[in-house]
Amino acid sequence: MGNMNKLLHKPFKAFTIYALLILAASIPVYFYVVDFIWNKELDEHNQIVKERIESRMTSIRMPEQKLDTIIKFWNIMQPGTNMVPVTIPLQKDSIYTVIRENQHGDKIELDRFRGLAAPITIADKHYLLTVETNVEETDETLIAIALVTVAFFSLLVIGFIILNKRIARRIWQPFQNTLEKLKTFDLATHNDITFEKSDIEEFETLNQTLTKLINKNITVYQIQKRFIENASHELQTPLAVLKSKADLLLQQKSITGEQLEILNAFNIPLSRVTRINKNLLLLAKIENHQFENTEVNELAAIVSESLEMLSDYTADKGIQPEFHPLETPVILGNRSLLEILINNLLTNAIRHNNVNGKLIIEIKNNTLSVSNSGVDPLRSGELFRRFSVSSSETTSSGLGLSIVKEICNRYHWEIVYDFDQNKHRFTVRF
Amino acid sequence: MKILIVEDEKELALDIAQYMSGENYLCEIASTYFQALEKISLYNYDCILLDLMLPGGDGLKILDALKEQRKTDGVIILSAKNALEDKIKGLQLGADDYLAKPFHHSELAARIHSVIRRKQFDNSDVIALEELRIDLQAKSITVNDKPVVLTKKEFDLLLFFIGNKNKVISKSALAEHLSGDIADMFDNHDFVYAHVKNLKRKLTESGYNNYLKTIYGTGYKWEI
Repeated sequence: MGNMNKLLHKPFKAFTIYALLILAASIPVYFYVVDFIWNKELDEHNQIVKERIESRMTSIRMPEQKLDTIIKFWNIMQPGTNMVPVTIPLQKDSIYTVIRENQHGDKIELDRFRGLAAPITIADKHYLLTVETNVEETDETLIAIALVTVAFFSLLVIGFIILNKRIARRIWQPFQNTLEKLKTFDLATHNDITFEKSDIEEFETLNQTLTKLINKNITVYQIQKRFIENASHELQTPLAVLKSKADLLLQQKSITGEQLEILNAFNIPLSRVTRINKNLLLLAKIENHQFENTEVNELAAIVSESLEMLSDYTADKGIQPEFHPLETPVILGNRSLLEILINNLLTNAIRHNNVNGKLIIEIKNNTLSVSNSGVDPLRSGELFRRFSVSSSETTSSGLGLSIVKEICNRYHWEIVYDFDQNKHRFTVRF
Repeated sequence: MKILIVEDEKELALDIAQYMSGENYLCEIASTYFQALEKISLYNYDCILLDLMLPGGDGLKILDALKEQRKTDGVIILSAKNALEDKIKGLQLGADDYLAKPFHHSELAARIHSVIRRKQFDNSDVIALEELRIDLQAKSITVNDKPVVLTKKEFDLLLFFIGNKNKVISKSALAEHLSGDIADMFDNHDFVYAHVKNLKRKLTESGYNNYLKTIYGTGYKWEI
């Protein structure tokens, strides 16, 4: 029944079981009711037959001997009734049920009979009159009722399934629409979300509540974003002054070796703060779509330039980069952003590389992969989160991969990380 | 030579003035948009350092004003925004260079040196320092009239030192100068040492005096 009916499955199951129980319980009830009516009708029928016989028999006048002969013939001609003379008459009518073999027919089988035994008086002589009528057997009635019930139950279940499907498709449509909208919603793209109007109260309430919730989230998100942006803007100037003062201090003629050491130690965290601040501003700019203009870029050329720029750092670590551009794809996007993406991936691969380690860059099938030697795999779940990789390394801003991720999000590129044969590998699919 | 520092952050303006004062530079400071406008219309400067975010107006408008008055002062934009659009716009409006805050004073000094030199010498661009001659057009140098072959990075470093005579230059400032933004992603700047060592060796081998001093653990100084 597909995804749509998942919720309706539950009541459907319950309804079906309930219907099954009720119908099963109805089988004995039906049986007793039918049997009761049947017996009652037959008793009435037997009574009528008895009364008819009694009134006819008592109305004829004839000699005793002739009467005996007639009664004998009667008993032979009328198989359902029997009259026998008795000396002591029965006090009142009695009803009985008997099962016996039916001797008149090809097959010999057991039949059920409903009987009436009544005393009658013909010409002052007492007789016992019995009237018997064939009744349907109990098991036959039971089977018939059960069969009918099963048939109706099947009809009921088929009806349930069809109705369920139809109701699900129609009634849950607005819910489905809402769900689809929510799935595609992304806070960072700050696109407003509007749900379709629904005439079902619950869905309309759901949509309104969701709209309220989402709007609140968008507001909070934007306030937070603006806060980060403003904070890093405000930090720029004091950082510039700090850096400036450190430069001036370095020029002091009277500075001692000890003081120089302190000054150097002071410069390291300062440049880290500067870097973090710069990256936060960059992230804010990417999020605010400040890199609008799109160019046609040759991927391989940008990678080559970046490698050239980093050649001092690779040489320093004894790394010989291997660059395999198996294809030369052109990438549409902002050139600065593409450069930042490639620079960040390459600097990461150099910084976290072993001395004399490997650095392999491949371009194929519209993907760019950067792999470098490493020992332990990174926790891929948290890799792209801001400041997730708390590092003792002084220059790590903890934002390099967040920026890479943000750029990929912006252009709907896909980035994955894997660790294979002692190599970290980042792959961007354009 | 006269320099105008248009900067609303007083501390920073004073620091720049102090750093530049060792050379034969004369620095003036304007801390608002209107002060800057007044000064540029009254005087001529060899170089103007222009902050874009000023109380009273947009720094880019000062570039317009310079153009209107047909002034040829060299201009270096100093910006905290580091936005590409600002950079492109500023350069289109006639600025000579663009430097993002925060920066090393040595970087600024090298750029000021380069801007002024370009304005003053136009085409016959040769710097002479004792027995050293640097041809900026051909990017070549001679010591005692004998050519010395330098790599591009060694040449860049030499110019940087000459723009910062008698100043202590930190290794990180040199690394930033050589590899730009990427430099602050690494904490190991040992490659600077290798380039400086090579430059020093080539200069002394060809008979140039050893003006380039190593300041232990900190950086270098071109003493002359």
